[in-house]
Amino acid sequence: MSAPGTPSPSADVVLEVKDLKKHFPIRKGLFSSVVGHVQAVDGVSFSIRRGEALCLVGESGCGKSTVARTIARLEEPTAGSIVLNGTDISALGEGEIRPYRRQMQMIFQDPYSSLNPRLTAGEIVSEPLTNFGLAMGSDLQARVASLFERVGLRADAMAKYPHEFSGGQRQRLGIARALAVSPQLILADEPLSALDVSVQAQVLNLLIDLQDELQLGYLFVSHDLAVVEHIGHRIAVMYLGRIVEIADNASLFDTPLHPYTEALLAAAPVPEVQRTKRERIILTGDVPSPSAPPSGCRFHTRCPYVRPECSRIDPPLVEVAPGHHVACLLRPGPSAGHAAP
Amino acid sequence: MAALDKTPSGAARADNTEPILSVRDLRTQFFTSDGVVRAVDGVSFDLHRSETLCIVGESGCGKSVTALSILGLIPREIGRVVGGSIRFDGMELTKLDEGEMRRIRGNRISMIFQEPMSSLNPVYTVGFQIAETLRIHQGLSNKAAAERAIEMLALVRIADARRRAGEYPHQLSGGMRQRVMIAIALACNPQVLIADEPTTALDVTIQAQILELMVELKERLGTAIVLITHDLGVVAEVAERVIVMYAGRTAEEATVSELLDNPQHPYTRGLIGSIPRRSTPGARKTTRTRLQEIRGIVPSLREEIPGCAFAPRCSIATERCTSQRPPLETHGPRHSAACWETAPSSALTATSPRS
Repeated sequence: MSAPGTPSPSADVVLEVKDLKKHFPIRKGLFSSVVGHVQAVDGVSFSIRRGEALCLVGESGCGKSTVARTIARLEEPTAGSIVLNGTDISALGEGEIRPYRRQMQMIFQDPYSSLNPRLTAGEIVSEPLTNFGLAMGSDLQARVASLFERVGLRADAMAKYPHEFSGGQRQRLGIARALAVSPQLILADEPLSALDVSVQAQVLNLLIDLQDELQLGYLFVSHDLAVVEHIGHRIAVMYLGRIVEIADNASLFDTPLHPYTEALLAAAPVPEVQRTKRERIILTGDVPSPSAPPSGCRFHTRCPYVRPECSRIDPPLVEVAPGHHVACLLRPGPSAGHAAP
Repeated sequence: MAALDKTPSGAARADNTEPILSVRDLRTQFFTSDGVVRAVDGVSFDLHRSETLCIVGESGCGKSVTALSILGLIPREIGRVVGGSIRFDGMELTKLDEGEMRRIRGNRISMIFQEPMSSLNPVYTVGFQIAETLRIHQGLSNKAAAERAIEMLALVRIADARRRAGEYPHQLSGGMRQRVMIAIALACNPQVLIADEPTTALDVTIQAQILELMVELKERLGTAIVLITHDLGVVAEVAERVIVMYAGRTAEEATVSELLDNPQHPYTRGLIGSIPRRSTPGARKTTRTRLQEIRGIVPSLREEIPGCAFAPRCSIATERCTSQRPPLETHGPRHSAACWETAPSSALTATSPRS
C-alpha cells in the first residue's frame, strides 16, 4: 500500500520533509541590495520510507534539484523541517550536521564535474570512509575493493583517474562513493541525464538492484517520465516550486489528476509506432518566472481548463483518493468525484 | 502564406522521384595529434522531397558530423570529407568552393542547431537576423526583408510578432529562440532543412510545441527534413524514415514503423530494449523490472575497425563479425541492416527473435 504525502510517524520513514522553502535573494546594484526573491522551493512536504523510491519530476526551474540540494544541506533552507531518521536537521550547524551526512548521500547529474580529477578512483571511494573514520589500512582496501565490485567496476580501475573512465563508469564511481558510508537515503539528482541511452539502462539497473538489496530510500530527481515510471514507487510532480500532485506510480500514470501532470504525460514522446494520431494537450506559453509566480494557482496561466477563480485561489494539496494528493480547484475531493474516468 | 510560394526556389521545385539529397559512402575524418578519427565511415542515404528522415544514434556516432559534412561546415584546420559524394538537386556539394557553398547554405539547405542561444547573435534583434538572411540570399530590400521577417515570426507562431521582431535573443525564452531559429532557417524556403537535436535543450512541454510546429510547417511548405536526434521518442513522433548510426556507420535503415516494430540490427534491438517503457493502463507491471542492457561501451574511432563496429558488444557476434565488415543488406521492403547474423541470407534468421 502506498504511503500518503505525509504519513503518520513510523519507524520505516527515513526522511520526512515538511513545508520546505528555499528562496534565493535577487541582488542588484552597487550595494547588492535585495530586490526580490526567487521562490525556488515554496512549501514542499513529503516522506520517504526504507526501500522506497520517491521521484520528483518536473521541468527545468521547477525547483526539483533545489529540493534535493536543500535536504542534503548544500543549500540553507529558508523555512520548514527536514527530519532524517527522527532528527530535524534543518537548523543544525555545520559541525552538528556532520554525523547525519553519513545517513544520506548524494549522486550528481554530471559525473564529469562531481569527481575530483586529482584523486585516483580508489582514493575517491576511500575518502568518505577515512573522513568518517570507518576503516583504515587493509580493511579500507578491502572495503573499497568490494564497493568497486558491487557497482560493476574492475578492481584494477582503482589506480585510474576520473578522466580515464567513460561517463557510465564515472557515474558508477559516484555511486560507489555514495555507498561507501552505508547511507540509508540516497539523493540522486538527474543521475542519468548526462549518459547515453544504452548506458542509462546499465546505471538504472544498478540503482534498482542496490535499492532492493540494501533497502535504501531514494529521492530520485528527474525530468524523464519514462525513467520515473520505471524506478519510482511514488511520484511527486513539481511546478514552480510546489508539488502539484503526488501519488503512487500506478495512480499517477493511470489516472493523472492535475492538468499539468496530464499535459506533461501527453507531451513526452513515446518510442512506439503511432497507429492513430495521438490526442495531445499541447500547452501554450512558457513556464513563468519563479521570482514572480502567478497569483492563485501557479499553473493557471497555461492551464487548458482554467476558470476565473483559479487566478485568485491558491489550491492546497488535498488527498482525493488514498495516497493520491492533488492541488487543483477542479479536483474537489473523493466525495465530489473527479473528471478522470 | 501566399508570399512563401512566390520565392524562386519554391517555383523551381517540381515533384519527381529523384531524391533531393543523395549521400554515398560519405567518409569524414578528423586529424588530431593522437591520430585519425574516423567520425563518419561510409554512410549512404537518400532524402526525398518533403520527407522527414531521422538520423538516430548515441553521442559520437557521427550523426552531427554527417550533417556538418553536408553543409560544408567541417573546420578545415582539423578535418575534412575524405571520400564519398553528396549530391543535392543535381549538384555535387563536395566539389563546390566556399563561395558556391555559401549561396546554398542557409538558402536552399538550412539548419537548426541544439542551442538556439549560441546560434543567434546577441547584439542584433531577432527581426534583423531573419531579415539579414533574406537580404543576402534573396536580394530583398531592407524594408521588404523586415516585413517578411515579421511574417516569418508569425508563421512560427510567435505572438505579437511585430514587437518581438524588435527584441534581442536574451529577451526571449528558450522555446521562442528555437522558433526564431526555425524562422531564420525557413525564411528562404529551403528544399532541405537539417535540424541537429533541435529540441534536446528544451523542456518536454516546449519540445512538444516545437516538434508539432516543424511537422506542420513541413507539410505546408514541402521542405524535406533531416532530423538528428538521440531520442527514439522524438523519432516515433516525427520520422517517416530512420537511419540508425553506430560508430560512424549506418547500422540500419527503415521506415519508422518497421524500425520500431521489427528492428533487425542487434544494436537497434538493444537500443529499443534499453529504453524504459511507459506501460499501458491495465497492463501495468507490479514489480520493477530490469532493463535490457547493451554491455560495454562504444569503440574508439581512432583505430580502424575491420569487422562490424558493434561486434565487441553484440551477443550474437561470430568470428566473421570481428573480421569482415557487414554490408548494408536488404531485410525487407524499404528496410536494410548491416549485420551478418540477422541478414536474410543467414541461417540464423529463423531463430533470431523479434523484439
